[in-house]
Amino acid sequence: MSLDLLLIVAFSGALLTYVFGKISSKMRNAFGVVVSLALVVMVALLYGQTEEKIFYFGFLNLPLILRTNMLAWFFAISVSALGLLCIVFSLSYMKGRERGDFYYLMMLLINGAMLGIVFSGDLVSFFIFWEVMSWSTFLLISYNRGKALFAGMKYIIMSILGSVAMLIGMLSLYATYDTLNIVTLSTLISSASSGYLLFLSIIFCIAFAIKNAVMPLHTWLPEAYAEAPSPFTAVLSGMLTRMGMYGFLLIMYVMVGAARVLNLGPGLFKFNYILAWLGAVTIVIPTFIAMLQNDAKMLLAWHGIGQGGYMVLGIAFGTSLGVAGGIFHTLNHAIYIVLLFLSVAAVQYRTHGERDLNSLGGLIKKMPIAFIGGLLGISGLIGVPLTNGFASKWLIYKTLILEGSPFLAFAALIGTWGTILSVFKFLHNMFLGQLPEKYQDVKKSPFSMQLPIIILSFAILLFGILPGIPLKVINAIGVSFGFESLNVTFWGIASDTGALNTINIFAAVLVGCLVVALLFKIGPKATPIAQDDNYAAGAPVPKDKYHYTVDFYNPLYRMITPYLKDFIDAFYMKLAGWTQSLSNGVRRIYTGYVGHYVMYIVLFLASLIFIQLKWSPW
Amino acid sequence: MHVVEIIVSPLLALIIGIFFLGLSRKIMARIHWRYGPPITQPVIDVIRLFSQKAFSHGMMFNLGIILSLAGSFVLILFLPMGNICPLSNSGGMLVILYVMLLAPLGIALSGGEAANPNVSIGISRKLIIALGYEVPLLLVLLTIMTRYHTISIVEIVRIQQNTTWALLDLPLLLSGIAYILILPAILGVRPFEIVQAPQEISSGPMAEYGGPFLALATIQHALSLFIGIALFVNLFLGGAGNPFTFFLKMLVVFILVLFINAALPRLRVEQAVKYLWRWPTLISLAGMIIILIIRR
Amino acid sequence: MDRNQLTKWLKTPVKMGHKYSLHAVYFCTGCGIIEVPPVITARWDAERFGVIPVATPRQANLFLITGYVSVKTLKAIIRTYEQMPEPKFTVGFGSCPVNGGMYWDSYNTIKHLDKYIPVDGWIAGCMPRPEAIFVAVVHLWTLIDKDMADGYKRYRKDYKAYRANQEQLFGTLEWPPLFPIGESK
Repeated sequence: MSLDLLLIVAFSGALLTYVFGKISSKMRNAFGVVVSLALVVMVALLYGQTEEKIFYFGFLNLPLILRTNMLAWFFAISVSALGLLCIVFSLSYMKGRERGDFYYLMMLLINGAMLGIVFSGDLVSFFIFWEVMSWSTFLLISYNRGKALFAGMKYIIMSILGSVAMLIGMLSLYATYDTLNIVTLSTLISSASSGYLLFLSIIFCIAFAIKNAVMPLHTWLPEAYAEAPSPFTAVLSGMLTRMGMYGFLLIMYVMVGAARVLNLGPGLFKFNYILAWLGAVTIVIPTFIAMLQNDAKMLLAWHGIGQGGYMVLGIAFGTSLGVAGGIFHTLNHAIYIVLLFLSVAAVQYRTHGERDLNSLGGLIKKMPIAFIGGLLGISGLIGVPLTNGFASKWLIYKTLILEGSPFLAFAALIGTWGTILSVFKFLHNMFLGQLPEKYQDVKKSPFSMQLPIIILSFAILLFGILPGIPLKVINAIGVSFGFESLNVTFWGIASDTGALNTINIFAAVLVGCLVVALLFKIGPKATPIAQDDNYAAGAPVPKDKYHYTVDFYNPLYRMITPYLKDFIDAFYMKLAGWTQSLSNGVRRIYTGYVGHYVMYIVLFLASLIFIQLKWSPW
Repeated sequence: MHVVEIIVSPLLALIIGIFFLGLSRKIMARIHWRYGPPITQPVIDVIRLFSQKAFSHGMMFNLGIILSLAGSFVLILFLPMGNICPLSNSGGMLVILYVMLLAPLGIALSGGEAANPNVSIGISRKLIIALGYEVPLLLVLLTIMTRYHTISIVEIVRIQQNTTWALLDLPLLLSGIAYILILPAILGVRPFEIVQAPQEISSGPMAEYGGPFLALATIQHALSLFIGIALFVNLFLGGAGNPFTFFLKMLVVFILVLFINAALPRLRVEQAVKYLWRWPTLISLAGMIIILIIRR
Repeated sequence: MDRNQLTKWLKTPVKMGHKYSLHAVYFCTGCGIIEVPPVITARWDAERFGVIPVATPRQANLFLITGYVSVKTLKAIIRTYEQMPEPKFTVGFGSCPVNGGMYWDSYNTIKHLDKYIPVDGWIAGCMPRPEAIFVAVVHLWTLIDKDMADGYKRYRKDYKAYRANQEQLFGTLEWPPLFPIGESK
């Protein structure tokens, strides 16, 4: 099983899907699912292999290298599996929508580009695939037109700035070492000076921080997520933003190496401490901003930023537990955020695109599978024990506490509490409470939407109860970075400073539920009643008005809203405004009147002659 | 031995929790210069509630309250009571902090399906006040975990048994004071009895509970009282070597909390959060800085 | 008061439970509610009998109809009564629920509450003193012991008649029948 075959299947599959779409939409759908499935199978077969393939295209004497190792495999399997689930979900979601061929082409193209990113062995192919991913994301974000165009524009401009920074880093590396092969660079770089390594880390990390939405470079994310079509938002938040995480790992631990990267920077302002603090700020502030949102997808988008902070905090902290926690959180976050966005998409499908949390409600009886997806998704997001979010967050908390950074631990822990408030509002306003009159006829989701939700819910519980399954892979990644191996068992982590044993917790909760259910059966069976047979102090329950959604945390909003104004976005918009007016001014040079152009040429020649007469440089 | 502990410890917690509920009504009555119900009154209430044929709003309504009470029972297994602690080696303080979430989450879900805005307002108040007390509580817990350099609560109790109570340990005194200031908020007694508030929001999340549901909710309330006080006794009053001393310490703390409950009225939610984020947070922050300075 | 007799608890726990845990819905139906706060506060302490007010009918098993029942309040009373879980007991407090009392010739009050919801006991007086409530509670215990406090069973059995009375007063009712009453309404 070779890597180039994988990428050929990915890209040609995308193009063929578009072609088939011109023939028949059913054929296109089936082919899209087959291609994604084939990719998952091929990536799964690559487990444990380390191979390298070199291609010479005669381009600047730079070979394009594809290689696979444990880290690449880990990201590749998440990308392909989640991509498959989102494509299956899109089968129903995009039915009857315009430009479906374009949508499937872009989804598969992005899938292939992400696989290319993780499998690339040298920086040129990395950059090529990175750019393919960036512009195809822009095209797909702007799918809905209108506000989506503006959101896409914000995204692509910031992404291009990041790519330019990455290009500067690459050029500097090429100029110094004359090669862009990652493995060779990692051995050559270890002899470089600390200042140069710091420059490289910063310049590459700017690109990855923009992609991973670390504060203060996160402003593209909320609108981009909110305006993109929902199954694509799932892919976007699950894996695409985490390509930034892959980049962080690549720079910090593969290229520069754990030994050097944890010592960069003067004295107290070490590079990884600053990055960890940025991660901590990214956890706290966006989580509280999420509480104020009234749009379901914006709320989840701000949580996407916040959870990215956990990952950055974990890997920047630099201990074996921290790196394992950060990488594990990337996988877990991908699973539950995809699940949450798919639940929102399921609700949108049946309620004709409603995302406003203030007008939904009570859909638990009409869409039970979407509710279960939402419930397990938010449990994972909060980090309730027995979900996968808890396992990865436990690793991060433990290392922060035991290594003596209680302020960072406090930021991480209070982030969880902010999350609890805002996602409960999300779940309550969508699924609990009174069902509005206009949604009385909402039907259940179709099977192709239920299937990904059920699979992902199951995955959340599986990785929560048996975290050893992904942890074995992550431990291998950590060992390959040079950290000491963790004592990973099937059900958790054994250690003498406090172990984690999820099987015990699971058994206890199961037995507890059984005992309490038996206790519940002592009483007489309860009579089922309609939702509007409700306590209203003896009055009839008013239709559509007996529902508490608007301003769900009103007392808290009054306290914290003044402190959470989005300065950063306002600053960037001002910068963009100045650039726009500057460009507007410069464009006035082209007046269209030939006389002016002749005058410019004459003035320019006159100034050249003047310079020659005065200072004679030529 | 282990299995015996797993069965005995939730039973003990249940008995002590119900005893505390009854004792609270009796002591409040005596403070009000009246006789009050017998101490076994909660038992009578629960028996009566189990005999009533209630109304249910759906599957989640039933499952939520079961999950909530199961979560409380499971949490008991992680708390040391004297020398009984069945699941001591399964994650420590962090697991306790997060299994504590299962109880309000269960009630929130089941109440949510009840589709009553009183329930929703009650839940929103519960979450807001929880955010309020979590800020100083997390600072206090992090201070203790940093001072004793462990995340296991059994370890913390053991260290206190060997040296001295954390409350009497001079660097941890400020954290202890902060914890005492937020203890009424954690237990949900006046002045922070905001979630139930029968006069304001018709008993909040329990507005649609009848019969067996209310019985389970009462038992859950008893257990959450037990858990709140047990956590404080374990972290700051040294735990104990045997269950009897442990329950005695819990009784003393509970009676002191009851005196505060009897004397004060109820705060509004934003007043409560402003209070919790002001003095207790500053005091616990000072406590954490002291511990960090000492460790250098 | 036989609250301490353990053998009785073991033989009939349900009856003993209902006797010593009478939670009243705190629904202030009429003027008689002015007598209830003194009963539940420190001077005439009702909590020593196990009687406390609760906020919602879902949590209650005792309904005190205090004072006169106007036609508008009757709708709320019927809804509240139907929302209470069974077994439940109703006590008419004051002379007005018994036979109209002071408002015996008013166009707007109900003269015989028993036609619309079943009542287990009456307390005469205008207003009865708080001690009368205690006498009523003790009497209710005797009725519960003898299985004579069966208002809720009568409601279930004779629901057709009760519903017919309610509909005769109000016309069509906005809430569906609590128990199925067959084809003819």
